[in-house]
Amino acid sequence: MKRSLSSRISAWLVNISIAMTALRTNLMRSILTTLGVMIGVFAVTLAVGVGSGAQVSVLESINSLGSNMAILFPQPDSEGGRSTFERGRLTTRDARAIEREISGVVDVAPQLRSSVTIITSGNTASTSAIGATPAYGLVSNINAESGRFINEADVRTAARVVVLGPSVAEKLYGDFDPVGETVRINRVPFKIVGILESKGSSFGNDNDDIAIMPISTVRQRFVGDTLAGPDDLHVLFVGFQDGIELSTAKREMTELLRDRYRVRDRDGNPFTIRTTEEFIQQTSQVTGIFQTVLVAIASISLLVGGIGIMNIMLVSVTERTREIGLRMALGAKKSDIRNQFLVEAAVLCVIGGAMGLLLAIIAGRALTAYADFPVPIGLGISIGAIIFSALVGLVFGGWPAVRASRLSPIEALRTE
Amino acid sequence: MSHPLVATTNLVKTYELGGETIHAVDGVSLTIDNGEFVAIMGASGSGKSTFMNMIGCLDVPSSGSVEIDGIPTSDMSGDDLADLRNRKIGFVFQQFNLLARTTAVDNVAVPLIYAGKGGEERRNLATQKLIAMGLGDRLLNSPAKLSGGQQQRVAIARALVTEPLMLLADEPTGALDTRTSEDIMEIFQQLNDDGITVIVVTHEDEIADHAKRKIIFRDGKVIEDAPVTNRRFAKAQQGAEA
Repeated sequence: MKRSLSSRISAWLVNISIAMTALRTNLMRSILTTLGVMIGVFAVTLAVGVGSGAQVSVLESINSLGSNMAILFPQPDSEGGRSTFERGRLTTRDARAIEREISGVVDVAPQLRSSVTIITSGNTASTSAIGATPAYGLVSNINAESGRFINEADVRTAARVVVLGPSVAEKLYGDFDPVGETVRINRVPFKIVGILESKGSSFGNDNDDIAIMPISTVRQRFVGDTLAGPDDLHVLFVGFQDGIELSTAKREMTELLRDRYRVRDRDGNPFTIRTTEEFIQQTSQVTGIFQTVLVAIASISLLVGGIGIMNIMLVSVTERTREIGLRMALGAKKSDIRNQFLVEAAVLCVIGGAMGLLLAIIAGRALTAYADFPVPIGLGISIGAIIFSALVGLVFGGWPAVRASRLSPIEALRTE
Repeated sequence: MSHPLVATTNLVKTYELGGETIHAVDGVSLTIDNGEFVAIMGASGSGKSTFMNMIGCLDVPSSGSVEIDGIPTSDMSGDDLADLRNRKIGFVFQQFNLLARTTAVDNVAVPLIYAGKGGEERRNLATQKLIAMGLGDRLLNSPAKLSGGQQQRVAIARALVTEPLMLLADEPTGALDTRTSEDIMEIFQQLNDDGITVIVVTHEDEIADHAKRKIIFRDGKVIEDAPVTNRRFAKAQQGAEA
């Protein structure tokens, strides 16, 4: 006999109500079983959330560098080719050549880097110094929160001025705004002209623990004698217009620089170029692996929860063998019995899953609020978690349900 | 129209027990027609319950055949048998077999779930049957709040709710006192008067005497099959029928 759609829906509703009655009957047992699924779904959902959070925060920190950008280092490239250079080169003249000849370049921001110790009358802070030009602020989207950034005049005159990252400023001065104060950097007096906006931290790396000075000042006072030439650079940031194909730009820059250094065809580059696009790809890969590992570990707890479901469903089938026999006598088909127990397992799991999801959302919010780590558990993950819980119920409830459906009616009825 | 409601041919059921083959039912051929009221009797182990389980399509014969309403059941699948039980047979058990923590209405409605009826129709039909059983004021009681006799009447309502052709009752009064047993047998007699075939398995003569025909089993065989000569009527009807 074919059953109509409405009667089938009604039969599922009946199954849900049978399941609720059965679960209420053994309330404590149901709660404990649900707990297993709850913990499993909580762990998996949180792992997914933390994984995507890692992805988001890495992408954010890459984007905070400037979204469409290439970074050049004077290190022989490890990517392919025979490495023939012990030491790479990258100079201010290269920077100008790139700005002049590569299409789509908005700005070039050459840098020198050094470690410095900053001393005030009472405090000391060690930090990394970046010798930069005003272009750095534009390319990397770095602005002064108070005071000002490095300007052209500072660079031209190699002025002894410094812009501090908020962490350094706090270490030296606490809440006091030190713009206008004088500090000693490696024993040379500098005037603080600005404090940077906070860039937060990524992966335990404090982006605010820096001091920015004019590139010329750093060259003269801190790193001059370590460089191979008078206009050598440690880092070169190249900002591109939106819509520029970074892989093409990278190829053009590579050709240009190889020409400039007269690199032979089969030799490797005496410089390294990385684009934000590549960073994003690499980090997505890494965070993807990170997320997969995290979810895999969390899945173990869900597996344990699922086994708990299977265990309790087997007990439930055994306990209710007589009821199964009765239902069969009254006309229940195999599929009716199977569905009844599947629904019971799924209901258990969905209740556990919903609670686990709720806990994961709360834990995610707490992580965001107290550890400043984004844990995005959105609608997609939520729906996924609920569907996944139901699937856990169907998978782990499947065998007990099939076992129940295969009972012979008379054997089942005779069970005491 | 001429076929009997139940027809068994050479019906055999054997069990293996400790290496021995036990013939629970040993070659029974008989027919039961529409409108009969049959009592199946015998000592415990005589094969009467096994026989009833087979004509109720709950158990599968080792050999021989059962036809219900002219339909051979030997080749039917488990699901087809379930459907047949649902539509043509109503069961009443010794221990009532009601679902605990479930209201009388929901208990009576269970067969209708498997008949594919919608929720409202189920409630309506179940309520009607309960009212007919005199339980109109107990619709929402769970079995724990009903007496034994009331529980068995709920079970009878459940057996009748799909309008089956026959009622199979296995020791329906076995868990009830004498007076309540009489009440239940009175209900069976009324139902039989209304046209339903009733088959009752019992070991008590007093219960069997309410039927019109008595079939006695011993060692898996029918040793007596005869009309009830001194038919017993439940009190209320006694005068009218005599």
